[in-house]
Amino acid sequence: MDTLLARKTAGTLSKAGIDFVTYLPETRLSEILPALRQDASFTLVPVSSEAEAVGIAAGAALAGKGAAVYMEGTGLFVSSYNLLTVGVRYGIPLLLLVAYVGSFEDQRNSFLFSHYGTRTEGLLDTLGIQYRILESSEELEARVRGAVRMMHALKQPVALLFTGEFTN
Amino acid sequence: MIRYECFEWLAPQMTDELVVTSLSGQRVEWGHLSKRDADLNLGSMGNALAVGIGLALALPHRKVFVFESDGSVLLSLFNLPTLANLNPSNLAVFVFDNQAYSGTRISYPSATAGKTDLAAVARGAGIEHSVTVSTLEDFKKEAAAALTETGLRFVVCRIEETVGHRKITRSNVDLLETKYRFVRYLERTEGKTIFHGRG
Repeated sequence: MDTLLARKTAGTLSKAGIDFVTYLPETRLSEILPALRQDASFTLVPVSSEAEAVGIAAGAALAGKGAAVYMEGTGLFVSSYNLLTVGVRYGIPLLLLVAYVGSFEDQRNSFLFSHYGTRTEGLLDTLGIQYRILESSEELEARVRGAVRMMHALKQPVALLFTGEFTN
Repeated sequence: MIRYECFEWLAPQMTDELVVTSLSGQRVEWGHLSKRDADLNLGSMGNALAVGIGLALALPHRKVFVFESDGSVLLSLFNLPTLANLNPSNLAVFVFDNQAYSGTRISYPSATAGKTDLAAVARGAGIEHSVTVSTLEDFKKEAAAALTETGLRFVVCRIEETVGHRKITRSNVDLLETKYRFVRYLERTEGKTIFHGRG
């Protein structure tokens, strides 16, 4: 992801009401971290596992924060238990910002990730988590706005899977 | 030390502190002794500490207590280095360590029944105030300090494996009711809307 798109993504998240982001860095979208850090309205929380990224964001959401979890697609597999027990069963609005590694449109797709990528949507379907795929920056504002609205309406985690242009 | 006796002493001391509980007998006993809207029963293993961290970060002016068990902490050991580095000064973690996986029908030793010392693990992760207590008097000292002082505390409470919680009639409250009760309490006490509805 280039710097300009990273800044646009951070600004879009802020505008949509996201102000608390837990994260485990990865390779595709990591440029958003300095962009988020430059905006004092965000609380950024580095973690050691996507599993706790979900729990920490859930605690913040219960306290009224607009909470998001930024992770690589592999993190969905790591955190699936936590997403189900805390996010889905307990019903907590969370925005999952997922680098859709190993997807068909992943510009850096490799043998290492394709097995995860081709199962990512199936995992979200199994967990009952609604999601949308973003391939182009033109979709960014509408997708983020829609996802945040939906997570509050459902009181459930909602995922945005970033691929295509976002993975350059 | 008996966990129920710890809770019998602590429950009446609580005022506006937030409490997060995980699974096992501790949530049953705490739920029996404490009927506060500020109690959040998660009903799952390996999540309470992370949720407590999130609450503590989002509400730095509120005191947050997390009641964990040895099995639950062992399931999510990655919480400890994260907690150490975040170091929220308004969080107190009490791990009720009965050295067993002690569910409704089972009792099997956990790693803390063997060589593992959770307080030492937490210290190694970087949590400075990480101690073990094994008497009710020492528990009272740590709990009283957690109520009145600031600073992250990680207290491993070595307790006997007891089955008293199995005799307590379980609450009929659904987890979603617990969540809404807790969130509406925060809305009242924090003066803000958290969950929007349309009636």
